[in-house]
Amino acid sequence: MLEGAMAVVKPEMKSYIWLQTADGSIQQVEEEVAMFCPVIGREVLQSGKGSSKNYAISLPERVKPAVLGSILDYCRFHQVSGRSNKERKIYNEKFIRVETSKLCELASAADSLKLRPLVDLTSRALARMIEGKTPEEIREIFHLPDDLSEEEKLEPLRNITDDPHIRLLNRLYARKRNELRERQKLKVLGDAAPVLNTEVEKELPVDERSVDDLLSFINGDGDSKEARASKNKKRNRRRKDQPRKSLSMDENGCHKESNCFPFGNTNIEIRNEPSPKKSSTSPDLEPVGLSAKLDLDDGDIYDELDPVLKAELDREVEDFARRLNSVWPERMQELIPSI
Amino acid sequence: MAYSFPEEVLEHVFSFLCSDKDRNAVSLVCKSWYEIERWCRRRIFIGNCYSVTPDIVIRRFPKVRAMEMKGKPHFADFNLVPEGWGAYVYPWISAMSVAYPWLEEIKLKRMVVTDECLELISKSFKSFKVLVLSSCEGFTTDGLASIAANCRNLRELDLKESEVEDLSGHWLSHFPDHCTSLVSLNMSCLGSEVSFSALERLVGRCPNLKTLRLNRAVPLEKLPNLLSRAPQLVELGTGTYSSEFRVDIFSNLSEAFSVCKQLKGLSGLWDAIPAYLPAMYSVCPGLTSLNLSYATIQSPDLSKLVSQCPNLQRLWVLDYIEDSGLEALATSCKDLQELRVFPSDPFGAEPNVSLTEQGLVTVSEGCPKLQSVLYFCRQMSNAALVTIAKNRPNMIRFRLCIIEPQAPDYVTLEPLDTGFGAIVKSCKELRRLSLSGLLTDQVFEYIGTHAKKLEMLSIAFAGDSDLGLHHVLSGCESLRKLEIRDCPFGDKALLANAAKLETMRSLWMSSCSVSYGACKLLGQKMPRLNVEVIDERGPPESRPESCPVEKLYIYRTVAGRRIDMPDFIWTMDEDSALQHS
Repeated sequence: MLEGAMAVVKPEMKSYIWLQTADGSIQQVEEEVAMFCPVIGREVLQSGKGSSKNYAISLPERVKPAVLGSILDYCRFHQVSGRSNKERKIYNEKFIRVETSKLCELASAADSLKLRPLVDLTSRALARMIEGKTPEEIREIFHLPDDLSEEEKLEPLRNITDDPHIRLLNRLYARKRNELRERQKLKVLGDAAPVLNTEVEKELPVDERSVDDLLSFINGDGDSKEARASKNKKRNRRRKDQPRKSLSMDENGCHKESNCFPFGNTNIEIRNEPSPKKSSTSPDLEPVGLSAKLDLDDGDIYDELDPVLKAELDREVEDFARRLNSVWPERMQELIPSI
Repeated sequence: MAYSFPEEVLEHVFSFLCSDKDRNAVSLVCKSWYEIERWCRRRIFIGNCYSVTPDIVIRRFPKVRAMEMKGKPHFADFNLVPEGWGAYVYPWISAMSVAYPWLEEIKLKRMVVTDECLELISKSFKSFKVLVLSSCEGFTTDGLASIAANCRNLRELDLKESEVEDLSGHWLSHFPDHCTSLVSLNMSCLGSEVSFSALERLVGRCPNLKTLRLNRAVPLEKLPNLLSRAPQLVELGTGTYSSEFRVDIFSNLSEAFSVCKQLKGLSGLWDAIPAYLPAMYSVCPGLTSLNLSYATIQSPDLSKLVSQCPNLQRLWVLDYIEDSGLEALATSCKDLQELRVFPSDPFGAEPNVSLTEQGLVTVSEGCPKLQSVLYFCRQMSNAALVTIAKNRPNMIRFRLCIIEPQAPDYVTLEPLDTGFGAIVKSCKELRRLSLSGLLTDQVFEYIGTHAKKLEMLSIAFAGDSDLGLHHVLSGCESLRKLEIRDCPFGDKALLANAAKLETMRSLWMSSCSVSYGACKLLGQKMPRLNVEVIDERGPPESRPESCPVEKLYIYRTVAGRRIDMPDFIWTMDEDSALQHS
């Protein structure tokens, strides 16, 4: 008697949709839950599939079985209309608290199922994980390869690999630098060129001196004092010539914060003597040497290239140089004082 | 194993990243992300127009919809950058007119914009919506007329503090009758009177107008006409706020203001007379931003006014507010985040108002959210700065302008090193700092040691030697912009820290001790920097190598040397080396 009663209570009321993931496994899910997914819904309505195990709806490849379960949970929760916004929000927040790999798979799967709200939810979560991180950190989180070259890794807007003109210009500069070095080497020894010129031909040594050394170097430097004195005379003279500005109102009565900066119109005495040395308590500093920079010369990469490519690049550089040279003579005139 | 994404999903994830920093980080992750990111980048910000060329930008980001760019160095605001320096936007507009037909926004700061540019913009971009020209120059009201006439979907036209050659007010009448899309109009920097009826009609037919900043020429008695047509305004810049006092004008004004229930920002108020101030009182409780920098009202009226604005977050005001007014501010405005106090008479020998360091101290005590300060005053002490630092460790921008250069602590006559040192030690999130007063190398040691988040530093008449500059360049890890004038900084620190310069946007040094020789060396050694010598005395070649240059502007670039320089600017690079062969 009881058995019969039980038999009547069988849940024949609910209908199910059958879904098949790419790996072949099949599962059934309540119809209203499945229909929450636009892709599944469309399949059901258009092709009539999904009504039985043999006619299961094939889901896109990106929907892995493990992920499908979570997605269906999501649908099951949200397709219930009675829930408040707050409830939904709390559910969502918990939902995305999963491993990164799972989050990526969820985003991917949701996208292939065109489940917009879930795509947004997972995408936002992923974006939050990316915000404020460095490229290395992001690479770690998502297990991505570090396959950009050193050149390409210059701050993005400075990426030069795309621009052939910049590359050629760099090669041209590199060649000019080499030419210059050759020329300097041929110069007669004992050339009376000022100190700074001879530095052009040799690498600037890495500066390992301490802060105190720098300070004493600066303070003991006769040249700079002279320069400072002559500069002061010039500056004070110029100061008197500058027009005075009345309270920042130009003819339109516009008050720029800028025009209020009064320093430009005051005569001041610059101290010629540096203040007495204070003993520095900071540890020896290591100023960055310039030689490190020189290693990034394009010239070095150039030498390792395939000879055919080298020849082609040589031709391009010559061509570019020819074009550039037509502009250079004028530039030279500007820089060379007329004799 | 990499977590793989389909492209569309990744694009969608990127669309939630708003800051340029994040987008830049993303593009450096790996090759595939770089590619995906560049195709979906819609907003581009170029901090220095000479750091890159239009071609490079267009090639890398083919689908840009909004661009923002800055030109001249900040010290141009103080007339330190000579006329004709550059920052011409035309090559950019020209290139973008072909490459980005769907461009919607252009925001420029300190650039030279011509009428030709404006006409090209108005004709080339069918969906153009937003034009913001901040401290720009080179155009006339004719250019504005093109924009008004041809940009069918114009939402924003903002001429913030630009220098416009004002031929007439007729440009406004070029907005066609069917233009109803305006959301923001800022013409406060213009002099000429526009046709008031045209303005009235324009305001009346734009239901989404949220920001309206009038110019001085709009008379006070006409203001109610505009307000009644735009009660939905959120930001209002009045015209002149002065007129012979009449009760009817006053009551019209009061009534008009009372209808503006959404008003949050108020500016303009040229020549404001106290009698008309109470007309605004109805909107004061809702105000979060108040710009009184053109209002020559005195302390008692100012105190009364700010006391009516308990929700104020931002206040720009003249030093007429005095210490007493700042006390009223500190008492009434607990939400205050930003304070700017401008000098009413910066060139006067004697102080004309009773504004001292005490005002700032009081505000720092009373306003827990204060994070951004620009303060002009005539005296300062280490004690005051130490107190401010202690009160406000949340400070992000601190710009102090003691009017007299090299003014010491007025109590102890010592340098202000300790005071500024306290600021950088306490305010760990400090991003911007302007120094003034008597300062030795010691303050730079403090800055280099503690100001690790500092991005922009302005120095004038400070320091003793290269050591100061060395501290800053070697210690400030986040430094992007450094501007220096009239300091005894020379070659050593600059050359020793040359590599640092490639991590910054730019360095400006004028009236310092950097020699021509050092500039040449720097230019030769650092191909990715443009080392530009600005010298109006004539070619640097005509003087000894050890002679200091007048002005120096160094910035990183992938664009190579500039090709549009005037005859008083020289780029230091291989060319200069060839002189000595």
